[in-house]
Amino acid sequence: MSRQVPIVGFAALVLIVQSARADDAMSLPEHIDRLVEAKFQGKPAALTSDSEFLRRAWLDFAGRIPSAEETRKFLADKSPEKRNALIQSLLNSPHYAQRMRELFNVILMERRGDHEEWDKFLQTAFEKNVAWNELVKSILAPNPEDENNRGAAFFTTKRLSKVGQQSTDFPGLTRDIGRLFLGLDLQCAQCHDHLFVDDYKQVEFQGLYSVYLNTYIRTDVKFPAVGEKEMRQPLEFTSVFAEDQNKTGPRIPFGKEFEIPEAIQNKKPPPRSKEYKAPEFSAVRLIADNLPSAENRLFAKNIANRLWFVLMGRGIVQPLDLSHSDNPPSHPELLELLADQVIAHKFDLKWMFEQLALTKTYQRSSVIPEGQESPKPETFQVALERRLSAEQILRITLQATGDFDRLTKLDKDGKHSEEYTELKKKFVDSFANTATEPEETYDATVKAALFALNDGKFLDLVVKREGNLIDRLAKTTDTEKLTEELFLSVYTRMPHEDERSEVTEFLAKHGAGEKRDKAIGQIVWAMLASIEFCLNH
Amino acid sequence: MNNRSLCKPWEHRLSRRQLLGTAATGGAAMGLGALGGMLEPAIADELKKQEKQVIFIWMDGGISQLESWDPKPNTQFGGPFRPIPTSVPGVQFCELLQHTAKHMDKLSLVRSVRTQDNSHSAGVGRINRGDPKDRGVVYPYLGSAVSKLMGSTSSGLPPYVWVKPYSGGFKSFDAGFLGAKYGALALGDGQPPDNLLRHESISKEDDLARNELRLKFNRRYSERRRKEFTDANSYVYDVAHTLMERMDLFDESKVPKRDVERYGTHDLGRHMLLGRRLIEAGVRFVKVNSYHWDSHGDNFNASDSLVRQFDQPFAALIEDLDERGMLDNVLVIAMSEFGRTPKINSHVGRDHWPEAWSVCMAGANLHKGLVVGKTNNDGTFVDSEPYDIGHLFHTWFKALEVPEEKMEYVNNGQPLPVANEDCHAIKEILSVG
Repeated sequence: MSRQVPIVGFAALVLIVQSARADDAMSLPEHIDRLVEAKFQGKPAALTSDSEFLRRAWLDFAGRIPSAEETRKFLADKSPEKRNALIQSLLNSPHYAQRMRELFNVILMERRGDHEEWDKFLQTAFEKNVAWNELVKSILAPNPEDENNRGAAFFTTKRLSKVGQQSTDFPGLTRDIGRLFLGLDLQCAQCHDHLFVDDYKQVEFQGLYSVYLNTYIRTDVKFPAVGEKEMRQPLEFTSVFAEDQNKTGPRIPFGKEFEIPEAIQNKKPPPRSKEYKAPEFSAVRLIADNLPSAENRLFAKNIANRLWFVLMGRGIVQPLDLSHSDNPPSHPELLELLADQVIAHKFDLKWMFEQLALTKTYQRSSVIPEGQESPKPETFQVALERRLSAEQILRITLQATGDFDRLTKLDKDGKHSEEYTELKKKFVDSFANTATEPEETYDATVKAALFALNDGKFLDLVVKREGNLIDRLAKTTDTEKLTEELFLSVYTRMPHEDERSEVTEFLAKHGAGEKRDKAIGQIVWAMLASIEFCLNH
Repeated sequence: MNNRSLCKPWEHRLSRRQLLGTAATGGAAMGLGALGGMLEPAIADELKKQEKQVIFIWMDGGISQLESWDPKPNTQFGGPFRPIPTSVPGVQFCELLQHTAKHMDKLSLVRSVRTQDNSHSAGVGRINRGDPKDRGVVYPYLGSAVSKLMGSTSSGLPPYVWVKPYSGGFKSFDAGFLGAKYGALALGDGQPPDNLLRHESISKEDDLARNELRLKFNRRYSERRRKEFTDANSYVYDVAHTLMERMDLFDESKVPKRDVERYGTHDLGRHMLLGRRLIEAGVRFVKVNSYHWDSHGDNFNASDSLVRQFDQPFAALIEDLDERGMLDNVLVIAMSEFGRTPKINSHVGRDHWPEAWSVCMAGANLHKGLVVGKTNNDGTFVDSEPYDIGHLFHTWFKALEVPEEKMEYVNNGQPLPVANEDCHAIKEILSVG
């Protein structure tokens, strides 16, 4: 006995030391997985197959699916590091900036409209991997002198533009800045402290509102540009429930309020001038310099939560813009960890995407394990299927049918063809939400179903044309090979046994003689219109 | 969803104390919400089986009550038209409703409507949403509300179809916070939506074959995956196919000539006839929209034309629904965002008047041949208990056998009553409790 005591003690000591070492040595992806796994209820899904992982990563970081050839190559690759290598190569491919431009355009503009200069701003930012805080700073206080960046003003000018006879929607602009950059929907705190969310006080809204009430769209320049009237007095506001008188200067929600210098308060208004002159005291600049910063915890948490949402299909705080103490995160420690890391890595989005993509959480299958009920989504123990944007659906459809290069070719002026522009409009009309509705979940619509069923341009993609998928398949006489090529091209995977026999049966039944091309087209259509194709799973 | 309508202090009629009070009584319903997304599942299933339907005639701009349901002959504001008797002794309509007057015995009329808004911009939305208390969210219009609460009928057709002049398509505006899928399928000038016609390159057999294959792929994919997305996807394809099967609805050449003559060949006539056919086909809620009722100038000539355009098809609609025994299940509502001023302005027009106006209804659980409430002798104000749009919403939900007082929407965790909780149903008009 007496000899065993020190042994037990030693073993315990070793264990402690080891686990401490493991903590030190633990990579961020491992740390993330550990925190997620701690909350599993029952058996998690297995890691996803190589083909599903391949499709998922391509959709997330390149905005499209790989070709059949690229899929074959990846599946044949025996290297244990191939997933990590794929993530690396996708993040460093030219597709990345384009995908991020489209993703962040939808997140930030919510289909309010497009602008070339705004696109250029986003494209440039993601090509250079500009840090998120810098990117948001450009959006909040755009520099009209910088041709690559000035388009950032579109975020504000589009929201300030009037719709019909309605007055300028300053409250809406204020609300969106809170929602999109801080994860706070302060709308209900405009006129009084929020009724359901105790944290949301009226001053949190009014302090930000005071700044944007003084903004307007500049008309002296052709590009989107925001003008600012100098704020010389604090904004007075009253709750509709209490007859109190309150005042606020420019203020970061749940953060600092800025004093308006006395000299400014006592300043005489300068004479009107036709030329735009930025104000001496710029509240917009104060917000832009202080809201997107490492000191602002809400700012860091919001982007951590939103990136998590993009890859995992659900926020750690959900809804994404209702961060408050009565709506706690599903994994509080995880959210703090991600916020710490995002700050430590200077808001490097590409780095953060990489870390998240390397987790098991990201790489789990969306198939529920045998014998299990569908688990709660916030456990992340089975991958959540995700909506594809209209832009992603367009790209993967063209990639699958072999029309991508033909249709996306730019003319000598660097413009897309009319055919492509028209097709893109149809896809956006059919698959995007209406303006101002966030695209956060899959919204099936009758309109999209009718588009897939009957739109002439869509159906034309499954008609044989020199070099397209139908043409390639039609030339393949061996049905086995045909089926493989078909599944690799459309579903980014090999067919199952019963799928092979289904294709064979369908061709035997409907594809005799000259009807073969059409029957192949029908099979491709059924796959394009299927749920497997139109989700990121 | 348009969230522009943030609280306006002057519109704010809600206090924190009041709200906490409702939230407390709503607690039980919240519990139900947690079970069924919104309703106790048993109630929700029961409602889905319920075959009550609605045809809602919207006269945008404001029909004059004095030139229609509530004439004031020989008074200072009465105007030039004569009153005529109806099929109910003692009840008179303006002579412009000569056809409808023959069916008063099937109608329920409220002449004591008093609402809060005299502007089109705010009033249209406010009336269509039932003027709920402002909780910082955009409420659904009646059609979207009924879609959410009752769903499609067993016909499988989309629950909310909107027949209107001008453009059509899938319109999400009416859905408010319920989200786009509860929006309306709008048939612009009665025309079918884009892509409804089976493409010429696809035969009926092709369509069957390709869909059978699509379903096989879907079944395999969804075997061990979450049901939500695949169910939603299957539903919209089913609706799309059901609609494609009913192309006959959009083919006016198939409509008996006699019907065309009875309803009239003008827009409102054709659209109301399509409305009846959509109701017969099993659409849950049909809105028929007519514009240009805002007669600030030349009200009497305008009414002479417009009210007659309404009268002819409306009478035919009531007659048809009655003959087919459908009035027991179909709630008919004809209204605008407000009435028109008794005072005649210097352009011989009538302006906006929310203070005293009329709403005509018929069918589903409403008493027949009944007039509720009255206005004073000059028609300027209500001279009985006034009813706001909130009262009408409660009444309509009761008529549709939707237990509206026990139900709440749950939006982002926020419980939202389906009708303004300060109002109640108009008991005397309902044949159910």
